[in-house]
Formats: sequence, C-alpha cells, structure tokens
Amino acid sequence: MTSAMSPSERRLQKELMSLIKDPPPGVSVDAEQAEQNLLQWTIHMEGATGTLYEGESFQLQFKFSNKYPFDSPEVTFVGSNIPVHPHVYSNGHICLSILTDDWSPALSVQAVCLSIVSMLSSCREKQQPPDNAFYVKTCNKNPKKTKWWYHDDSV
Amino acid sequence: MGDVGQSTANTSNKEMTSNQDELILAQQRQIEKEISESIPLVGELEPVTSLSSEYSGDDIYLAKVNDLAAKYSSMRRTRPDGNCFFRAFTYATLERLLGNKEEFNSFYKLAENSKNVLVELGFQQFTLEDFYDTYMDVLKRLADIDNVDDARRELHTVFNEQGYSDYMVVYLRLLTSAQLQKEKDFYSCFIEGERTVADFCHQEVEPMYKDSDHIHIMAACSALNTGVRVLYMDRGTGNIVTQHDLPEGCTPTVHLLYRPSHYDILYV
Repeated sequence: MTSAMSPSERRLQKELMSLIKDPPPGVSVDAEQAEQNLLQWTIHMEGATGTLYEGESFQLQFKFSNKYPFDSPEVTFVGSNIPVHPHVYSNGHICLSILTDDWSPALSVQAVCLSIVSMLSSCREKQQPPDNAFYVKTCNKNPKKTKWWYHDDSV
Repeated sequence: MGDVGQSTANTSNKEMTSNQDELILAQQRQIEKEISESIPLVGELEPVTSLSSEYSGDDIYLAKVNDLAAKYSSMRRTRPDGNCFFRAFTYATLERLLGNKEEFNSFYKLAENSKNVLVELGFQQFTLEDFYDTYMDVLKRLADIDNVDDARRELHTVFNEQGYSDYMVVYLRLLTSAQLQKEKDFYSCFIEGERTVADFCHQEVEPMYKDSDHIHIMAACSALNTGVRVLYMDRGTGNIVTQHDLPEGCTPTVHLLYRPSHYDILYV
C-alpha cells in the first residue's frame, strides 16, 4: 500500500490519520469510507454550542484530484440537512475564498473544516444567499467551476 | 480562520447564464496549458540579445534591450505562471551558492532551522513538513555532488520537474509569509487598504500562482539573507533599464529582469 503511493495520496493518508487521531471539536471523518477511496471523504460536522446551528448536524463531502494539495479540494454540504446560511447555497455549494482563490497547499482538510465551523458560528441570522434560486438552477455540479466574487463581510 | 473572505456567487448579471463562468474558466485553463507546454519552468542559458526578436519594430524596447545587453551577458527565462519570482529567486540563489561551499553550508543551516520558526508562527506542522522535507531533500542532493557543473545540472533537472519545483516554490512562499508576519509592524505600511499582514499573507503570498510585488521580494530577500538587483524593462521613457537593489544598499548576488508581471534570471 505504501510503496506505490503518489505524493497526493501520501499527503491525504497523512491528513486522514491526523484527522482520525486528533479531530477539531465537533468534526469527525468517516474513516472506513476514506480508507477505501482516499480521493473522496465524508465528514460529519456538529453545529457549535451557543450558535444558531447548535443541535444540528451536517455532512460535508470532500473530493480531491491527483494534483492535491496544489489543487484545492472540492467541498460541498451533502445529505438531508444543508445549513441555511448566507454563504451556503441550498444545493450544498459553499462560497468560501480558501476553497478557490485563496487556497494554499499549506492548508489542509482540517483547516477547511475549522474555517467552515467558524463561518457557521459567526452567523447572526439564518438565511439563504440572496441569489440562491438563480444560482442553484444554473450552476455546474462542481462548485469550483463557479467564478465566485468574494467580499469580506463578516457574516 | 474567521477572517477568511466569504461571499456570494457571481450571478449579479442575470442575463448571463452561469455557463459563462465555465467558459471563462475553461479558456483560462487552456491558456495555462499552452503556456506550460511551450515554456519550461526554468530555461537554458541564452544571450540577453535574444530578447530583441520579441520586440522587432519597437524602438523603446529595443533600446532597452541594448542597454541591458551592455550590463548582462545572458539570461534564463522562467515560466510565467505567477510563481516566476519565487522560482527564479530560489534557482538563482542556489545556482550561485553551489560555487561556494562555505556559503552553501550556512544557507543549509539556515534552512534546517526554518521549520521551527514556521511552527512557532502557527503553521500546521504536518502540512509544512511535506514542503520542508522536499526542500531539505533537494539541498542535500545538491550538497552531495562534489563537481560544481554536475551540481548545477542536477539543480536544473530538479527545477524542471514539477513535483520538486513546485514544492520548492511553496516552501519559499511560506518562508516569505513567515518573514512578513515576524516583522509585521514594518511591512504593514506597504499593504494598501484594511488588510492585516496575516490576511495579506493568506491571500497573496501563501497561495500558488499569485504574482509577486516589491513587498514579497523584500521579505523573500530577508528570509534567505540574500540581496537582489531587479532590472525594470517597461514602456517608460528613456533608453535605459532602471535598476533597484533590495534590500536597499545591499550587494546584490541575484539579478532579475522584470517585465510587466514577469521575472527572468540575469547573468553578468
């Protein structure tokens, strides 16, 4: 298993081990599924205590290309509960700059999870993005094929 | 992490379908592919006068090429992929150090200790290690070759293998980011707008393919303890290329040619 690993697989294997051993609070990875296919992970995320999402749980899907970590992972919310949030579309697409323009190979699955937890936790009012209906109808299945406009608001 | 820019999709112009996005991105990818297939990451040595062929009929540029050719004999082109400064700077620094064992050794020691500095600044150890290990691995491979010409050939090979070359670029980006953050009081005056030095590093220094400005160069020079002279060639008036030493007043050991948004390596 180890000898034929590509650099991206080696890196993902390392990240997976670290996430299993030392996950951020409220975050857990489906280890069995990830071990079967290192290029696609499901991550469970609990809404943080004291936030609008307390008591809710969410699922994130991470897809990696063989150019990871130079290519960013494709990250979407999946499953029956998509968080209602100004930067999360009802099809699960997330508008977060580190997933596209500001991705760096020094970031990681863990850093992305922490960023999403923080994005949810700082929300003051649960509402969908203003352009949700239009976007969901016309977008590509892959959120990385959307050209996002990032403006630094603190929501 | 809460300060990361967040946003909404680019759907403000409702007449355009989102497929427009796909077309733009597909076109960008096609251009990137054409560039990567036609220009090596770091090219072979060629005479500075070879620049003339790019500017036939353009008197301003031709005069500047002549001026440049009077100061420098040859150059190496680098691939214009947004990483050119970092790639050119690391390559040129190492190429020079290979001819001086003593300086190479102190550079090696500096590199060896750099991981701890980055960890102290809050970089995640296990993502960092990948890049650090490759960086040190390359330095070790070069150090083990006794013949300078052989070592330089190895350097050239390594820098043209994307797997190694990009790892070297990432590590220098991280070292540059660390330098900026260590001296954030000084560097904050060079950043426009509301961004903090840390934000700037996350958005403009650490991500691959983002172009380098003065501020990147100053910090990279300081991180590698190396002085650089940049020769500027643009459409500005006059027949001579202007030059700038960074840090100011240094004795430059690396010479780079700057043409709008691109850096190549120059040799005296």
